[in-house]
Amino acid sequence: MPAMARLLLPFTAILAALVLVISLDDRPPDADVVFVNRGDVFTLDPQRMTYLQDFRMAMTLYEGLVQWRNDTFEIVPAVAEDWTVSDDYRVYRFELRDDARWSNGDPVTAHDFRYAWTRGMLPDTAANYSNLFFHITGAREFFNWRTAQTRRFVADPWTGGDVDPETALAMVDRLTALRDADDRPAAIAWPQSLDATAFEDQIDAIRRAADEGNVADALAEATLLRSIHRDLDNRRSRAAEARWMWQRARQRIDDTVGIDVIDARTIEITLDQPTTYFLDLICFGTYRPVHRPTVEGWQVDEQTRSTIAGAGWHAVDPPAFADRRWVDLDPATGRLDQNHEWAKPPHLVTNGTHVVTHWRYKREMVAEANPHYHSPERIRSETIKARSFEDPNTAVLAFESGQVDWLSTVGVDYEADMLAQRRAYEQRHADAIAAMKNDGLHMDEILARLPEPQRGERRDIHVLNTFGTDFFHFNCREQLNDGRDNPFADPLVRRAFVQSVDREAITREVTRLNEPVATTIIPPDSIPGYDPPQGLPYNVDRARESLREAGWKRDGGRWVHEETGEPFPVVHLLYSTLGTRFRSISIVLKAMWEEKLGVQVELDGKDTKFYRDDLRQGNFMIARGGWFGDYGDPTTFLELFRTGDGNNHRGYSSEYVDDLLDQAAAETDPERRFEILHECERFLFQEDVPALTICNYVRVYMYDPTRMRGLTHHPRLTQYLWQLEVQP
Amino acid sequence: MTTMIARRLIQMPLILLIIYTLTFMLAWLIPGNPLEHDDGREPPEEIRQALLEQYNLDNPVVFYWDYLGKATGVSWLIGRHDRPFDLGPSLTHDNWTVNEILAAGLPVSITLGFSAILLACVIGLTAGIVGGVRPGSLSDYATLIIALIGISLPTFVIGTVLLMVFGVWLAVAPIGGWGGVGNVLLPALTLSMPFAAYIARLTRFGMIDQLGMDYIRTARAKGVPEKRVVLKHALKNAFLPVLSYLGPAAAVAMTGSFVVEKVFAVPGIGIHFVDAVLSKDITLIMGVVLVYSTMLILFNLIVDVTYRWIDPRIEV
Repeated sequence: MPAMARLLLPFTAILAALVLVISLDDRPPDADVVFVNRGDVFTLDPQRMTYLQDFRMAMTLYEGLVQWRNDTFEIVPAVAEDWTVSDDYRVYRFELRDDARWSNGDPVTAHDFRYAWTRGMLPDTAANYSNLFFHITGAREFFNWRTAQTRRFVADPWTGGDVDPETALAMVDRLTALRDADDRPAAIAWPQSLDATAFEDQIDAIRRAADEGNVADALAEATLLRSIHRDLDNRRSRAAEARWMWQRARQRIDDTVGIDVIDARTIEITLDQPTTYFLDLICFGTYRPVHRPTVEGWQVDEQTRSTIAGAGWHAVDPPAFADRRWVDLDPATGRLDQNHEWAKPPHLVTNGTHVVTHWRYKREMVAEANPHYHSPERIRSETIKARSFEDPNTAVLAFESGQVDWLSTVGVDYEADMLAQRRAYEQRHADAIAAMKNDGLHMDEILARLPEPQRGERRDIHVLNTFGTDFFHFNCREQLNDGRDNPFADPLVRRAFVQSVDREAITREVTRLNEPVATTIIPPDSIPGYDPPQGLPYNVDRARESLREAGWKRDGGRWVHEETGEPFPVVHLLYSTLGTRFRSISIVLKAMWEEKLGVQVELDGKDTKFYRDDLRQGNFMIARGGWFGDYGDPTTFLELFRTGDGNNHRGYSSEYVDDLLDQAAAETDPERRFEILHECERFLFQEDVPALTICNYVRVYMYDPTRMRGLTHHPRLTQYLWQLEVQP
Repeated sequence: MTTMIARRLIQMPLILLIIYTLTFMLAWLIPGNPLEHDDGREPPEEIRQALLEQYNLDNPVVFYWDYLGKATGVSWLIGRHDRPFDLGPSLTHDNWTVNEILAAGLPVSITLGFSAILLACVIGLTAGIVGGVRPGSLSDYATLIIALIGISLPTFVIGTVLLMVFGVWLAVAPIGGWGGVGNVLLPALTLSMPFAAYIARLTRFGMIDQLGMDYIRTARAKGVPEKRVVLKHALKNAFLPVLSYLGPAAAVAMTGSFVVEKVFAVPGIGIHFVDAVLSKDITLIMGVVLVYSTMLILFNLIVDVTYRWIDPRIEV
């Protein structure tokens, strides 16, 4: 059929070209372990990480001063081989091991940590977790100081319409700071001679006007200031001023921030307040070191390069900004502009067990063993690959077909059915499992020794407890946003709503994951030495009684207030429509409260962004929440209930709780401290109940227990990739 | 023709500017703060504010002009920026710029979309011709049913079934990923199904229409072989509606399909059309919308030019 052949010829040619194009695509090396991370990694810059999947990579790529043992959460040495803590828990001194190396061979020194940590508290870095550094003396003040400094630099009260007094004051502060500076560079276009009186008068006039709230007239009359301000507004002068500001910022860090490098192998940290859990805190990914010449992209000559390789980068003078590839000072904003190209291969240099050698966005990431790592015997697998799947179903299929060894999140609709198959398997071997547990065997070991699962059973899906709790917020403000009285301002009403919820039924029938139910917020067995109290259990009679004590009485099938006679308002339950979990739980809560308590509940399901806005503004009566702890101390959960805390969406305020938190912060005896925090948690969840806790979150993994080794089951659930091993 | 092409090319920046402005306004109106993450943790107010300022998110006017200057390359021309056509950093994918995301995803989406459109043409034209030549025959009904399935079955069902069969049971195809011929076939087939079905229907009606025309009768009377009548004379005219459909179809297929990319874990840009909006990643939204609009305008232009080439009578 020649006509048909002619028609198909171009198609075939193009198809062949396509095949060629695709096969030219470079392929990363094969890996010893392939896993699916919780999602694609956002960044490998430890100071800028916020996501779990990113931190998981940080734990392996970067080695901190100390680290957790991930099965017990004791603190063990990492880069620091020894440390001392002052009696008041305010000064921590670390001695670094001398054989720690970056993946390019450079030594890891105390300067690396100081650099990374000061970088984390620099507003220019735009790090969400900057506040974790605020324990360190001077860190918060420095953050605010630098923010104000750059804000002044862009304040221009003479352009644009309405001028707020703040902008005018910022301009005034900038000019006075420049005038008072004794180290002002010549490149800044500051007037040669200055009419000091006129300058002073105009500044005063604006300051006075700002106090009264209207600066328009004062600005119009400040002709001298305006002309100085205009002169400063050229690229060359602004660039010089940005450099000068930057020098002042560096100086301020040196003078005020409590991170002192004693020598290349010794670093001393001074804290604002006694912090007993500081060692645990610095195990977190945000505190991992970064390699300054890499982060800034230093372009140096051979000789400098070899000095750095021998002694560390602190032994040489840093190159000028022109010779730094990834950072520059932006003359428009005055901020340190940071290009994040360094955090990707082939540039990335890390000091942990592995270094990332391939990373293609939304495809895969390959980490290979760091040839300079000081203790190579710890590395169980040379090459580890993380694959990226948007669709959970596809990820499960990839696991089923053996192309993936560990699935770190499942999240498919039929997850609960797979878990039922796992339970069926465990039930059939219940006796054997119990016997082996008695012998102290790890669950994976037990599963591996049992016979193959039969049809309708499986042993490759695992439920693990986590360091997080699922709960609902009560709005605790006296009034609702629409001005009505808020019934939930009364702890007794909140107690009634808590006691009428059957948590077991929710985890058994609704989520079907059988999570551990939680009457308090801190997950048990997660913080060594802390045993959380019990909160309010399910008790419908007590619930109704609480509502009566609160001044409500039953009247014709509804609750009315004893004094005012007002009916109990319709309760609005706010949740986000992201995923089905939140909706299902909300529906069941509505049913429970309507049936057991006899109140009317209306569901407000909203898109996540709207939900968050409402939550922040307090536009709710009851809203869903949830929290994962960051560090191994009860305060990582309890600080949520401090008056005015940024995450206290409940508007909850209790002097007693604030006082206990303050006491705990000042307490230096760890045991006594935990007692105080225990009382705080008890009070919160037995008496005041600003939140209705449902259960501790679990995570579902898939892996074959007969082959996969090295995954921890500790509820803090921190997996070190270097411990993973797939047996043949 | 040259004037037509020139006019269209001059119109393009104006159309893109309008699209940019409208998209920007809509994207800005999405509630929430793109720098916030769903993980529920909130930085203190001072950090929130510093972050917003850093990305110009505290001022829509500044953002609009700054972004426009950088994206068009004007800022670069006047020396205020170090590179042209900079679509900015992604607000949610911290480590990547929008340019990098597009550079990584667009070739993948284009390869996949191109393969899918090719497959769709082969399958659709064949089925359409077979059906159109003998309407009412068994083969006509067979192709009609296949077309119906292609149109009505959602791609995530087709995709999942293909994955189950070829990936898990037969274990001949890799599951997810990109980088081999095996990675392209299944998603391309899935993606091509709705297009193929539509092309089949267009071709079938076109063929039935054309085969009843006088010039066909003349050709047959002159003794032109039936194959030649169908493939040369009738198909050429029956192909016109398919051609006008191919322009937008190619743009749609090559800018990626959210569902197909998700099901087959293909690292294209289709996913961003949905995810960027959900996370209010304004720079990424602007990036994908601008790329999509440019491609749509260009493909429509190509189709119009081809139209004129196939049938010079047509005024475009």
